[in-house]
Amino acid sequence: MVQDPIFDPVAILVWGIDAGVFDFMNSRWGWPIAEIVHFTGICLLIGAVGMFDLRMVGLVRGLSLKALHRLVPFGVLGFGLSAASGLMFVVAAPDQYLYNPAWQVKMALLAVAGLNMALFYLVASRRVALLGPDDSPPVAARLFAAVSLASWFGVIAAGRVITAFRPPSWFWCAWCA
Amino acid sequence: MAALAWIEQTRLSLFVREDFYAYFVLLIFHAWGMALLVGGGVAVSLRVLGIASGARLERFRGFLPAMWLGAGLAVVSGLGLLAGYPAKALTNWVFALKFACLIGAAVLVARIAREVLARGEPVPPRGRLMAAAALALWLGGVACGKLLLYTNSILLTTD
Repeated sequence: MVQDPIFDPVAILVWGIDAGVFDFMNSRWGWPIAEIVHFTGICLLIGAVGMFDLRMVGLVRGLSLKALHRLVPFGVLGFGLSAASGLMFVVAAPDQYLYNPAWQVKMALLAVAGLNMALFYLVASRRVALLGPDDSPPVAARLFAAVSLASWFGVIAAGRVITAFRPPSWFWCAWCA
Repeated sequence: MAALAWIEQTRLSLFVREDFYAYFVLLIFHAWGMALLVGGGVAVSLRVLGIASGARLERFRGFLPAMWLGAGLAVVSGLGLLAGYPAKALTNWVFALKFACLIGAAVLVARIAREVLARGEPVPPRGRLMAAAALALWLGGVACGKLLLYTNSILLTTD
């Protein structure tokens, strides 16, 4: 039996049972409802952040990025919905996710997307806000947009194949003893 | 049922069911397509409803090619998934509801493109109504799509 020094799936599951998440997720409509919320959140995220990125990468023109940025709160809402429902999946069946290669890749891509976003706001967002509707964004901004699109669509792809890489048939734990 | 049973025995159908990668590759393209299609639909609806009103209304037509790409990916991959398990989908009324939602949303977006985006400001009250309805239908289509995995009564005609 491998020892996981970081995550304790049993403790997570016990917490999930105590918090009622486990019962909800295993009720007749719990899991489907969480899945609906999860993908609805992703659609909101792509609708706001993805469309902003399409403009910033240069595939869509004629829109002020500063004005288009007003869509982003809906992307944040979408991310919140997906994160909350995603957490419920993990809490309801921790061993099926923590050691799943596809899930680990998904989390890594999520980190790339997050880091990319943080860097964008730190480095490029101020210059982008000054651009007119017909201006081409600077190369750095276009790069941030491309990485954002690639990582979010990567997140979707990795998420979609989580069921193909289920433990115990698949078991990744680089941090285990 | 005879037609469905015949489809299940085609080479494409067998390939989708038996190849380890085929089904999941189709699922990936379906999710990408739906996210692009519905994401673009969400952006157009929100704009018509008054969000990001500083961004030029007419130029939101620029998101339509992304939605077409999404629709193309979703339809082609969807047909592949349907070929794999035709009876699973076609005996489920939720599948019909999914299509009612998505076709309704697509028709509304086509009308929004013609009657709202093409004409520019101001947005007519009917434009807002269409945008709100399209938004609801897109999300309804997503919900039905997710429910397909949980509401089918059979997987194959031999079940």
